[in-house]
Amino acid sequence: MIRIGLRDARAHFPRFVMSIIAIALGVSFVVGSFCFREMMNDQVDQMLGSNTDHDVYVRGTTEKKDDASGTASTGSSGSSSSLRTYNDVDDSLVDDVAGVEGVKTAEIVYSTSGSLVLARKDGNAVSTMGSPTMGIGLAKGTWRSAHLTRGRWARNDGEIALHAFAAKTAGLGVGDVTKLVYPSGPKDVRVVGVFDTDSSQAGAIIIGLAPSVAKSLVQEQTGEIGTTQYIGVYGSGNKGAPLTHAQQEELAARVRRALPKGSKATAITGDQLRDEYSQAIKDQLGFIQPLILIFAVIALFVGSFIIANTFSMIVRESMRGYALLRSVGTSPAQVFSTVIVQALMLGLVGSAAGIGLGWGMVRLIVAGMARMGTPMSGTATPGATDMLAGLAVGVLVTFAGAALPARRAAMAPPIQAMNETVNPERPVAPRGIAGAAMIALGVVSWMFCVAIAAAGDDGDPTPVAFLNDLASRLGVGWPLGVGAGLIVVGVITLAPALVGPTGAVLGWLPSHVFPVTGRLAVRNLSRQKRRTANTAAALFVGVAIVSCLGVVASSAKSSVAGIVDTGLKSDFTAMSASSGRIPDEAITAIEKTRGVDSVSRSRMLMGVTYGSGKDKAQAMTFAEQPSLFRRVFAPVENSGDADRALRDGELVVGLTVAQDNGWKVGDTVRVNGRRVVVDEEATAKARADYQARVRSEVAGLQAEAQRLAAGGDAAGAQTKLREAQRTADDASNVDPSTLVRTKTETTHRQVRVGAIIENSVYRSMVLMNDDLAERIANEYTMFTIMLFVNARDGADLTALKTRLVNAVKPFYVITVQDRDEFKSSMSSMVDQILIILYALLALSIVIAVFGIVNTLALSVSERTREIGLLRAIGTSRGQVRGMLAIEASLIAVLGTLLGVVVGVGAGAVIQRVYESNGLERLAVPWGQLGLFLALSVLVGVVAALPPARRALKVPVLDAVATD
Amino acid sequence: MARHSVKSVRAAARRTTRTASSSGAIVSPVPMSGSPSPATDVVARAIDLTKTYGERDSRVVALDHVDVGFVRGEMTAIMGPSGSGKSTLMHCMAGLDRPTSGKVVVEGLEVSSMSQRELTRLRREQIGFIFQSFNLVPTLTAEENILLPLQIAKRPIDREWFDRVVDVVGLRPRLTHRPSQLSGGQQQRVACARAIMARPAVIFADEPTGNLDSRSSREVLGFLKDSVREYGQTIVMVTHDPRAASYADRVLVLADGRITRDLRHPSYEEILEVFATEGDEDDSRDSHVEAGA
Repeated sequence: MIRIGLRDARAHFPRFVMSIIAIALGVSFVVGSFCFREMMNDQVDQMLGSNTDHDVYVRGTTEKKDDASGTASTGSSGSSSSLRTYNDVDDSLVDDVAGVEGVKTAEIVYSTSGSLVLARKDGNAVSTMGSPTMGIGLAKGTWRSAHLTRGRWARNDGEIALHAFAAKTAGLGVGDVTKLVYPSGPKDVRVVGVFDTDSSQAGAIIIGLAPSVAKSLVQEQTGEIGTTQYIGVYGSGNKGAPLTHAQQEELAARVRRALPKGSKATAITGDQLRDEYSQAIKDQLGFIQPLILIFAVIALFVGSFIIANTFSMIVRESMRGYALLRSVGTSPAQVFSTVIVQALMLGLVGSAAGIGLGWGMVRLIVAGMARMGTPMSGTATPGATDMLAGLAVGVLVTFAGAALPARRAAMAPPIQAMNETVNPERPVAPRGIAGAAMIALGVVSWMFCVAIAAAGDDGDPTPVAFLNDLASRLGVGWPLGVGAGLIVVGVITLAPALVGPTGAVLGWLPSHVFPVTGRLAVRNLSRQKRRTANTAAALFVGVAIVSCLGVVASSAKSSVAGIVDTGLKSDFTAMSASSGRIPDEAITAIEKTRGVDSVSRSRMLMGVTYGSGKDKAQAMTFAEQPSLFRRVFAPVENSGDADRALRDGELVVGLTVAQDNGWKVGDTVRVNGRRVVVDEEATAKARADYQARVRSEVAGLQAEAQRLAAGGDAAGAQTKLREAQRTADDASNVDPSTLVRTKTETTHRQVRVGAIIENSVYRSMVLMNDDLAERIANEYTMFTIMLFVNARDGADLTALKTRLVNAVKPFYVITVQDRDEFKSSMSSMVDQILIILYALLALSIVIAVFGIVNTLALSVSERTREIGLLRAIGTSRGQVRGMLAIEASLIAVLGTLLGVVVGVGAGAVIQRVYESNGLERLAVPWGQLGLFLALSVLVGVVAALPPARRALKVPVLDAVATD
Repeated sequence: MARHSVKSVRAAARRTTRTASSSGAIVSPVPMSGSPSPATDVVARAIDLTKTYGERDSRVVALDHVDVGFVRGEMTAIMGPSGSGKSTLMHCMAGLDRPTSGKVVVEGLEVSSMSQRELTRLRREQIGFIFQSFNLVPTLTAEENILLPLQIAKRPIDREWFDRVVDVVGLRPRLTHRPSQLSGGQQQRVACARAIMARPAVIFADEPTGNLDSRSSREVLGFLKDSVREYGQTIVMVTHDPRAASYADRVLVLADGRITRDLRHPSYEEILEVFATEGDEDDSRDSHVEAGA
């Protein structure tokens, strides 16, 4: 029996090609997604192993709820990371830890990401594909995994060491002089060393700075002085090599004991921190795999379906053979096995191809990323489990697809009088009801979700207490996801019941344009409602995802455009592409540009909190010119007069902030700010220490000279004296600022809330005028992050734009945008995401075409006689082709239409939910969706070609004579 | 297996003839030679028609230089034992199969050399078909099935004619039913109505009563007979049922690819007598169980 099966499999091979492709595609997504995830994980682990390589870390003991640094961007703080943050610990703990036995070094490694820009050898800025440019304070021993390959570490802000990848990317070598753009402006720096790390840095540009330079950069950025998140400790227990886990634990325990009471610090092993980091990063990357898996599921769904169709055809055609086998004594189980053997062969071949394809896909992605400047050193080879999983999935899907047709074959009565009376389909109404119920539940879930979002944080979304309780616990994500899942599954379940009515509606046009073929096509669809619906489902899921994201994307675009159109009054904006800080010189350069009427600047205040004690809240706080609302941005007032409030030195609060804290206009709020001031005492002490050190050095040298002179070595004495003189000179020329010690001073002020505004850009901010801001913070704790430029009346904007661009050119990172560019800066980001979407869409279309081709091929084979009859009574070949094309198009349109409806619905719900986060406008990209529909007709026409050829290949007489 | 080889041979034969005969129908008067019919108005004619399957050793002659003309307004029955070539003759006449040599002319058009496009036109305008089974498109109602040939050909529908046809076949109350809701006899009557609706030059019926019980057979044959008598319809019917043949004006008997008898208005007894001498009345169709592909 198995031999017959194998022989049949060989004979049927051409028919299996499509099934094999479908299975291979599905399996390749499964394997590829696992592979990709493992590659990323491997990369993350490698990077952590070399980048976070201390043996023990000292960090705070209490977890912080929110990101402490004021630099976090709006809206994203909740979703960006699952990494817990702890209270900062005092810098001085370094001394306590360094003394512990077994500790080689204890240091704070200062690193800053995104605040620096390196110029290439050719003078242009080094650009990366999303990877950050990092500055790390490095000296000998600070980073065990980094080893200098040439030169030395940097010693001051005029020197840098470069990571090998950065050096290669920038085309720089030791001794070269280039520009490094600090937040305060560009500066000429010399490359004094090149170092390498064990793992690739995934495209990050790493610049080794002098530790003191990195420290001041970090302090400037965070506004935190004297505290740090982590102190890194290297142990000496393993002769310089990394400590084992047990040694780490032991050292950590010792360090813990050495930490002073009340320091609110603890020591953890390096392994623990690496695990936490790796988990957090993997969580962040986690979304990629499900996204790939969705398409794997579509491919496999269609695959199993194609297999079922293919085997139905084969079994139908071989029915007489099976009947014969049965009549000579073959058992049903044996017949079943002849069919299943074929399926298993097919599954094996398809899965094997899929595993290869999946591996190739990941290699291709890795190669592509390396090309775009993000080299990955993680291993991309599928593990045995990945391959087994792929194989199991492939074979199982094939088995599932072939089982029913195989059963039909096995049940063939020994004397089979084949007749074409197709068994009437089981009624689809029960499925319809179940599907409709699911959709209804999904819609309710979505409505719940919108209600939660509309109610905000204070209001109750529903009158039912239980649901409110649920809402506060679930947030909006769960109802949104559950609703989407229910609706997608519901639509797939409901679809067979929809085939009849939608066929009638959609078929109206073809039935009227092509009276005969159109009507025949429409009726044919309803014959096998399940089959039609399943075929359409493949397209439905893909189109739903893409059109949902399309709606969100275009809403995002339109919302940004809306802000610009309705709110922005300035002609130009300028911001920094890297740190966000605009150097003062750049501001001056812009102000001095001819044609500029006024420049307004937005300055962000670091570390501002509101309230006191437990109720302390944070909010992004900006200092603005009093003319902001008249000259730059029109306010959308919720209550109060924003313009007056700003001018009068009151707070203008974004709606979200106001709601979070329950502030109303007229409330008085305690504002806590920070100022960095010179610590006179410490500075005096530092100066005194320095001078004492110089004095003793000079004295030592002079004593040496005297000793040499006494010994008769006049030349040696002269040298020593010169050296002493030089040391003294150096000391008198020393930059006094390096001896300045600073401290942070907190300020408190009671300020009245003057207005609440709901412009989406300002929603989560607090604004105050410059005068007030300067009383709360000082120049060290607030930075210009955005400029708004108003042109002089009648100025030529194009020419002015060119002059502005030229003016900021020396600062490398400042971009000047006019209103349209400001709009499109958001759009182009959205467009990039859309490109990926379209790739996915193309993929699901390809899969869907396979499905349609296959379904039609089966349908044609079942209708051989009917088509023969039609031909006998005068139907032309063109009409047969037309009929099939209309059928295929209707299937495709049905799938697309369902997808568009559900996708737009989901997009609209998402827009409503995130309305307060800036997604203010709902924009449905009708043109794009219309294109999808038009495309689906085309897809149908193309998909109908192979089955039509097959139908027409059968001569009329044979068709009629087939029995 | 046997069936298979015949099929492939037939396909091969078709391919060769298709490439051999290239273009259009010739509209020409056809000589009347060899026709035993006394009538003058011949609708369809076979001239020196030969059809062979296979090559050399396995060569089977299905039609052996057949000359025959079918007269307008007559119902002709073609009879004969299985393998006698009766179905082949009809298929060649109807343009469903291509002869190896010789000509087929329907209404002055040479069918045997037509392209697919011309054949389609011929089927739309000149020829009607009634098959043994599976005559109707299952997704269409009885009425839609009847009107289908006209709609396919985009020809206007003569409602009056339609009403008459429907009344004659007695399907008025069943017009909105699907084929699956009709009995076998009703289905065949719908098929007859469909064939006659377009008023073709000739209707070819292939065992139209083969699957019917005797009462339904009588209804269908009666209707065909009426259409000949009342509307002058020409019908060529292949059958091996002597009772069906007895409705015909003329009965041709084939054996081994030749016409052996040509009876005019024979009685049932006369036909039975012919078959008593000819021998077996077995038809291959029912007793075959074969291995599939």
